[in-house]
Amino acid sequence: MNRPVLTILALSSACTALAAPPVAGDAKKGAAIATQVCFACHGADGNGITPPNPDYPKLAAKQPEYLLKQLKDFKAGKRKNDIMAGMVASLSPDDMANLALHFASQKNKAGVVNSPELLDSGKKFYSDGNPGLGVPACAGCHQPDGGGTSAYPHLAGQHAGYVYQQLKRFASGERDNDRGLVMQSLALRMTEQEMKAVSEYISSLK
Amino acid sequence: MKKAFLISLSLGLAALSSAHAAPPRQPRAPGIESPGYVWEAQSEEEALLLKMKGDVARGKIAYQGCQGCHKPDASGLPDGTYPQLAGQHITVLIKQLSDVREGRRDNPKMFPFAGKHVVDTQEVADIAAFLSSLPPPGHNDKGPGSDLARGKALYEQDCVSCHGGRGEGNAGKFYPVTAGQHYRYLVRQIVAIRDGSRRNANPKMVRVVKDYSTSDIGAVADYMSRMSLPAEK
Repeated sequence: MNRPVLTILALSSACTALAAPPVAGDAKKGAAIATQVCFACHGADGNGITPPNPDYPKLAAKQPEYLLKQLKDFKAGKRKNDIMAGMVASLSPDDMANLALHFASQKNKAGVVNSPELLDSGKKFYSDGNPGLGVPACAGCHQPDGGGTSAYPHLAGQHAGYVYQQLKRFASGERDNDRGLVMQSLALRMTEQEMKAVSEYISSLK
Repeated sequence: MKKAFLISLSLGLAALSSAHAAPPRQPRAPGIESPGYVWEAQSEEEALLLKMKGDVARGKIAYQGCQGCHKPDASGLPDGTYPQLAGQHITVLIKQLSDVREGRRDNPKMFPFAGKHVVDTQEVADIAAFLSSLPPPGHNDKGPGSDLARGKALYEQDCVSCHGGRGEGNAGKFYPVTAGQHYRYLVRQIVAIRDGSRRNANPKMVRVVKDYSTSDIGAVADYMSRMSLPAEK
């Protein structure tokens, strides 16, 4: 009687393997597309536009596996964003791999800190999480320097407004394309103040 | 039966629906409160895990998802919120993780990060192999040290036959290493085992500690927290 459900669970757990295969493609071909399609929002250098716009994240120096997954998810509707849905509509799988490699090869610039008074509490939350509520430290997966790993995205220097917006979207379930909804689980346990502070701290990381 | 079917149907539909998915909640499986409870009964996954060979290098990568709480050296937190896991027996790690994954050990805080929806079977084997390979950090929380003679007497009377003269536990019997564990974690767990809220407890241990006062528990946990195992395990 429970068989179909067990099968679904088994399938979904089989899909969650940590390591994404390395992205194969040509960053130069990606650059050609980026200068036509992506630069207006994400910047010619992949660092977004000035002043930082929370809707247009930095893409420079992110892991190519992460960038490719996001592009595929936008295309498949697993990550919902009207602007990006339009942008990826005409991209082929090869285009997306090439773009991921292009942005991954760009240099990350220092982020903008708007509320330096939040950096101490942001650092504490990033490093320790909230043990009382069982919120893991961000540093556990995203690494103490925000550089991420092969399985977790690079965050250092990301626009604070974008990080905050994404935390809110994870908490509301509007963004639900992460592995096992782990980000949603922890964002639901965060306060507004913690989200703001940790976003500022992430934007200060180099 | 009908109710169970409806619940599993709705869970299945929730898993299929793509709009605004919610993280799965920890299931609840029968535990010590239920007649017929067998402490060391193994689920299909647990039996498989106990036969699998974990890979330490892969485990180190999979453990990235755990170290935000348990710390990169797996030393946990001295206040006992998170246990020390370095050097723990593979069998114990597999059993306890299985009990959390399947809902015999209630831990709604941990479940979203350790359930089958996010950590697959091979990763559990790998994480257990990695943790077991780590040296005990040796800077665990200790008790106040005010009642160690009573702690020693209780340990030697009630605990040593399972947990061993050095707190080394027994891998084959799923008895944990308790040497080097945080005092406040030991207290919290022994209280939970005594009071029935740790539903995956060994009934033998429940019988041993059921008449312990809270100060007895403090004394024995303090004594246990001061044991240490050699690092070359």
